[in-house]
Amino acid sequence: MKKIKLTVNKKEYMLEIKEDTRLIDLLRDVLGFTGVKEGCGEGECGACTVIMDGDIVNSCLVLAFQADGKEIITIEGVESEEEIHPIQQAFLDVGAVQCGFCTPGMILSAKALLDKNPSPTREEIRAAISGNLCRCTGYNKIVDAIERAALYLKRGK
Amino acid sequence: MRLNSIGKKIIRVDGLSKVKGKALYPQDIYMEGMLYGKTLRSSRPHAYINIDTSRAEKIDGVVKVFTYKDVPGKNCHGVLFKDHEVFCSERVRRVGDPIAFVVATNKKAVEEAIEVIDVNYEDIEAVFDPLEAMKEESVKIHGNSNIIYHYKLRKGDVEEAFKRCHVIVESEYKTPMVEHAFLQPEAGIAYTEDDGTIVVCASTQYPHFDQIEVAEALEVNKDKVKIINPAVGGAFGGREDITLQIHLAIAAKVTGRPVKAVYSREESFLAHSKRHSMIMRYKTGCNKDGKLLAMEAEIIGDTGAYASWAINVLRKAGVHATGPYEIPNVKVDSYAVYTNNPFAGAMRGFGATQVPIAHEQQMDMLSEKLNMDPVTFRLKNIFKKGSKTATGQVLEESVPIDRCIKEVADRIGITPLSERGGVV
Repeated sequence: MKKIKLTVNKKEYMLEIKEDTRLIDLLRDVLGFTGVKEGCGEGECGACTVIMDGDIVNSCLVLAFQADGKEIITIEGVESEEEIHPIQQAFLDVGAVQCGFCTPGMILSAKALLDKNPSPTREEIRAAISGNLCRCTGYNKIVDAIERAALYLKRGK
Repeated sequence: MRLNSIGKKIIRVDGLSKVKGKALYPQDIYMEGMLYGKTLRSSRPHAYINIDTSRAEKIDGVVKVFTYKDVPGKNCHGVLFKDHEVFCSERVRRVGDPIAFVVATNKKAVEEAIEVIDVNYEDIEAVFDPLEAMKEESVKIHGNSNIIYHYKLRKGDVEEAFKRCHVIVESEYKTPMVEHAFLQPEAGIAYTEDDGTIVVCASTQYPHFDQIEVAEALEVNKDKVKIINPAVGGAFGGREDITLQIHLAIAAKVTGRPVKAVYSREESFLAHSKRHSMIMRYKTGCNKDGKLLAMEAEIIGDTGAYASWAINVLRKAGVHATGPYEIPNVKVDSYAVYTNNPFAGAMRGFGATQVPIAHEQQMDMLSEKLNMDPVTFRLKNIFKKGSKTATGQVLEESVPIDRCIKEVADRIGITPLSERGGVV
């Protein structure tokens, strides 16, 4: 067992974990953040994407102890208390949501991109979500939604 | 006519819960005191089996190992034929057939127990080539013949019409099986309500079918089975057959506790159907003006070890064999055949997806032989309002294929010769 301290969605947790616990299992089974999805368990699909210290990671490929001292954002931490995040709104408005299983990961990849690059080109958007599979194959709408989200974010400022 | 939805932008009802990550897929449901389940699957394509679960049952944390002996009612299911067993009793017919279901208090015990279930396989000759499987002398997967369906379509007289053809092309096409790979692997949780009703939460395309199949396997009335279909993370036809629903229901009923199972991606590949691979032999002919006169096709669909929707899929392949072209003389024979391959069933298009590989290639080859551009050739032969299909249906409503072809040709930069004033 190992003691770790990490921040998830702005809340600090002190936890005792087994060394072989994956970050995804800690987030889902222990902390209840079931918006983190497991699609393949080997870093191919990106459904388990979370933001760790500003960068996206596949939480199925990160061991929980590696998140010691880190700040994690899951889909549950994207919205504010009053309203959903502009990226979430853009996904809804554009119709970028189908089965929904890739959606949390897509939104987090979009957030990590827009946090650093507020005016990405479509090419940059495509590159940013290249680690996220959508098997409903709704990629065009997802790219549209991220473009729209960039506009919403600028208007909001 | 006032339309309330068509033409308007409607935000899907489950959209908000999905963008917030709050939509519940079965793997997101956790219950007090729940047990974990995992399926042991066949590693052989065709074999007689003997199962010994005694070592697995001794593992700390294991509550029970379920096999065919624990199915209270009918040990079978299937959307058309009841050819799947809930748990294989004597024989496995494909890699991935379910043999046992381990239920334990923790995931580790489940994994350990799966490893120590002894399955003694006595291999039987297997057949993987549907052409071989069709032969009289082939080993049989179920019953007396591996040919489970033969669809015949006859229109006009192809033999006579081929004699009048200026150009004829003949070729064979093969399409592979295809995996749906919906993003959310199968998962489910089952529990018992106070009045004994068994509840199964699983992402499914057929809750009402599942209810019947679960009730028959449990030997209870249908009203004692409830299927809850939470969010479905993609399906594309791959969730039309039973996977874990009956296993979970039996385990919940016998143990009296909630039982949850989540498939890995690998198990998901093993558990559900595939798109039928097809062998398509085509002969198509036209006159010197490029008017199609005759088509003959033989289509063989490999349904693997189980029928699933094979009959409907191969019928649809046969019905759509001409593609969107009016051909006065047509002969089609399509077959669904059992083999020891992974089983095939529904997948996006249901048999109509494979045949274009063949009929469109035929169109390209005919136009090439005629020295006619392929767009013009197609426009000469496509269905229009009033056309009669090979099955005799008169298309009375809108048939805007011409617009579609022209639009596509335009966007990929091909202008039909006929519109360029060229020779056709």
